[in-house]
Amino acid sequence: MPHIPLAEGLPGIRGLFAFRPETAKPLCELADVLLHAPGRLTPGERELIATYVSSQNDCYYCQTAHGAIAAHHLGGNEQLVLDVKRDFERAGISDKLKALLAIAGNVQIGGKNVQPEDVERARQQGATDQEIHDTVLIAAAFCMYNRYVDGLATWAPQDVLTQAERT
Amino acid sequence: MKPMFLPEVESNPQPGPTTDLIHIAQSAGAEYPKIWHLFGYRPQATTHLGAFTHEIMRGDCPLSSGIRELIAAFTSYRNDCPF
Repeated sequence: MPHIPLAEGLPGIRGLFAFRPETAKPLCELADVLLHAPGRLTPGERELIATYVSSQNDCYYCQTAHGAIAAHHLGGNEQLVLDVKRDFERAGISDKLKALLAIAGNVQIGGKNVQPEDVERARQQGATDQEIHDTVLIAAAFCMYNRYVDGLATWAPQDVLTQAERT
Repeated sequence: MKPMFLPEVESNPQPGPTTDLIHIAQSAGAEYPKIWHLFGYRPQATTHLGAFTHEIMRGDCPLSSGIRELIAAFTSYRNDCPF
């Protein structure tokens, strides 16, 4: 049950957007820039970063919604999304994305946890400053979205995660 | 001031109001918060972040601006972010 009365049938952040359209607009536009603006990170990589951070924050709605979008961008590969959430260092992704996910994971714990070694590792794997910058901004923004969604205990349908994920 | 992790972000400000501010501060030899470089690097994201911050801190709400700033300051303190 949400902590405040929200429109029924709108899951996760959708219910919050309907509750407060004035803040919804810039929040939606920010997410759109982070996930879709031109840049070297692919849409699938950005969605994977968002999904991984949301799963580390244990945000059911965000990891499910963005996990599905990530899988869509990755040719329907739900298993890969699951592998990234469970242990991205062993997942079938590029070394560059692993280094960026390590940075994102440290941002999730706290901004000061990002160390020069983490940035150096990403650079050695070919990440540009723009990719590192965007990774940190996606991770930080999704920590905010995750806390917004769970801080008000929004509703989300519970039958969405795949069978593999429940076991 | 400590250098930032990403020199390209610091040396490549994109055209926009924050970049103008950076140039004014630099030409006056004044110190300025390094978050300006983050705002100047991705103006598209900055515009939306600014609109969001403005609405949540100054928009129509029974909480006074002072109380809202206090919530922001308390959260930043808990996150060990002095700025």
